[in-house]
Amino acid sequence: MTNLFAILGLPESLLLDHSEIEGAWRAATKKAHPDQKRDSESLISADLNRARSVLSSPGELLAHWLELKAGKQESNRSLDPELMDLFATVHAALQKADSVISRNQNSTTALAKALLTKESVEAQLGIQQKMAHIHQFKQSIISIFPEIDEAARSGNFESAQRNLSQLKFLTKWEQQCQARLLSLLEG
Amino acid sequence: MNEDLIIGIDLGTTNSLVGVVDSGFPLILADEEGERLTPSVVTYLKDGSIVTGREALRLKKLEPERTISSVKRFIGRPFDQISTEEKAASDYKIQPASFGIEIPLSEAETTSPIEVSAEILRRLKTVAETALGHGVSRAVVTVPAYFSNSQREATKSAAESVGLTVERVLNEPTAAALAYGLDKLDEQQTVAVYDLGGGTFDLSILQMKKGLFEVISTAGDTQLGGDDLDLVIANAIQRRLKLDDLTTAESSRIRTAAREAKESLSSSDTHLIRLPFFRGNESFETEISQSEVEALMLPVIRRTRSICRRAFAEAQNKGVDSIDHLILVGGSTRIPLVRRSLEEWFEIVPNLSQHPDEAVALGAAIQAGILCGRVREVLLVDVTPLSLGIETFGGLMNVIIPRNSTIPAKAGEMFTNAVTNQKNFAIRVLQGEREMARDNWLLGEIEIPFKPGPKGSARVGVQFKIDQNGILEVLSRNTETGKDHILEIKSSAVDVDDSSVEQMVSESIDHAFDDMNERIWTEARMKSEELLPAVESGLELVGSKLSENELTEIHKASTLVKGILTSDLKDAAALKQANHTLDEATQNLAALLVEAAFE
Repeated sequence: MTNLFAILGLPESLLLDHSEIEGAWRAATKKAHPDQKRDSESLISADLNRARSVLSSPGELLAHWLELKAGKQESNRSLDPELMDLFATVHAALQKADSVISRNQNSTTALAKALLTKESVEAQLGIQQKMAHIHQFKQSIISIFPEIDEAARSGNFESAQRNLSQLKFLTKWEQQCQARLLSLLEG
Repeated sequence: MNEDLIIGIDLGTTNSLVGVVDSGFPLILADEEGERLTPSVVTYLKDGSIVTGREALRLKKLEPERTISSVKRFIGRPFDQISTEEKAASDYKIQPASFGIEIPLSEAETTSPIEVSAEILRRLKTVAETALGHGVSRAVVTVPAYFSNSQREATKSAAESVGLTVERVLNEPTAAALAYGLDKLDEQQTVAVYDLGGGTFDLSILQMKKGLFEVISTAGDTQLGGDDLDLVIANAIQRRLKLDDLTTAESSRIRTAAREAKESLSSSDTHLIRLPFFRGNESFETEISQSEVEALMLPVIRRTRSICRRAFAEAQNKGVDSIDHLILVGGSTRIPLVRRSLEEWFEIVPNLSQHPDEAVALGAAIQAGILCGRVREVLLVDVTPLSLGIETFGGLMNVIIPRNSTIPAKAGEMFTNAVTNQKNFAIRVLQGEREMARDNWLLGEIEIPFKPGPKGSARVGVQFKIDQNGILEVLSRNTETGKDHILEIKSSAVDVDDSSVEQMVSESIDHAFDDMNERIWTEARMKSEELLPAVESGLELVGSKLSENELTEIHKASTLVKGILTSDLKDAAALKQANHTLDEATQNLAALLVEAAFE
């Protein structure tokens, strides 16, 4: 497996700061981009782009880090009860949005669409609220990255595995919320 | 011939330009008459000769059916993706062909969007060669950021067919940002480029830092531009003057008059539309005001708002919360309503420092300069506008490279034989944002070859790569030799054989006449059935805010719709017209409803 930390010349750490990743990508891209170096393989640049993208996303970062440290992980589908509760409300907000989106898509006149605006605004607010909750949850997981890192030093990956699966769910919901929000905005 | 020189080309919907970098400065090249804009218009004369540019624009009146303009709207698109409205809005006919779309010029002759684009590019190449005094063979060509893989490929092949090697397919708003930022390399800025041209719209958000121009997000609509504004104005003129059953020449004249009105009303309050000797000796005249035209244009311009919001939202996901400048480019940004609307929506005063027609070509010249080493210390990094994916078993889209990924980008997938001795596996490659595979662009099919063996034994790694031009390449890796080999992407448009094309052509014509009335009636009836209850609810909610006059108009219009709907005559044209009147009468009602929703 390609070590994406190594590609950017960064240490294998969960605690990289945004500017470190950007700085490393920037310096490497200036050298490797096909525009700068006519004969260079554009795949080198593609690798740099992928490395930055993975290391900048907490879920993907944790997954990649864990795979490097402890090998390929079986996916763990269990959810914390707290997250379960969040899911119920996220699901309701998504359903509400879907209903507005589909009615909007089926409307052919400006007037019919205008009549839906109020509901659409409500659905947007609902989704935004859920996104804020998801964000909070993600932040709380990110805030324990130092502990995960610490535990891993003594060979304990249990917390890393558990939090990785939570992050995966949160990221998926976040993407779903984002997609609905964009559809609603397009209305 | 200068082998090292690369020219920059802006191949626009309405106008095209060509530029180069000379002693570190980008400049636009002028033709022998001193003109820098070449109208993107081509006339195919009956004697077989081809006229391009200003001369072709002049010939449009004489040869409306043999003069092709705004062909960029059709390049690289399959026929079945073009809507009925789009076909109706075009002032020349299009029909399906084995390679996508062809344009009939007469019974026996046809041309195609790629061929027409090639003629424009040939003209630009000549302009450059004459101005520079030597031959050129390499170019950077710009395309709308939101162009799909197929549209990019088609543009590239048009250039290659006239002897231009395309060194880079560059996104238009990104090019404009280069033009804006070239003299600000020491500054750090986040900018949004709002590019509303003749036929396409893009919004791109970029970060400029120490000579690195990085696109953060982009969104757009490749079927939204000045042409659409001309069309709504032309339709209004046609209704007002009660001109029915227009010939191609007549609708093209009204379209030209609409465009003149639009342009003149960017700087004056009223405009007199004149159509002398329109039909025989009959002449028409009508005065139109800026506010009337603005009311017609607003719904079209509003479509850019949600696209902007989308790009802003995506940039925010990548940690970009605010922009320093909103740069306007593209001819349609001269319209005061566009500028005012942007100020109102985003509370930012637009930056008008760039020449609306020339910024993109200047940027293309700069990128050409970067590639041939004439411009140093500048590097441009762009993104892919559309998600790339493959169709999964249940007809869903499985995203492999998400939109707004920095390019070059790559991603790998592993495929395994599902049955023993399976020879190959076909996958459909898609581009777009919709969940269902069928709602996205089909780029084509690739066949993955398997070595014979028991089920699950043959494994092939496939790599999807989007290069710095935004163009896809698919490679398969032989696990034994470690060698990569390019898989051909068979475009669905190319694979159609001639007989099925003929069938598509005849179907598209037959159906057009066959149950035309029935279809229009059904469509119109559905619209009425949606409108009438919406009018009722709308009036209940905000009717009190309407003037007496508006209320009377709405009642009159809805009574008319009801009358036609219940009559046995089934007059499809009349119902369509009545719907339209009701639609227009309720415009303010709709606006009030939207306003009320935000309160």
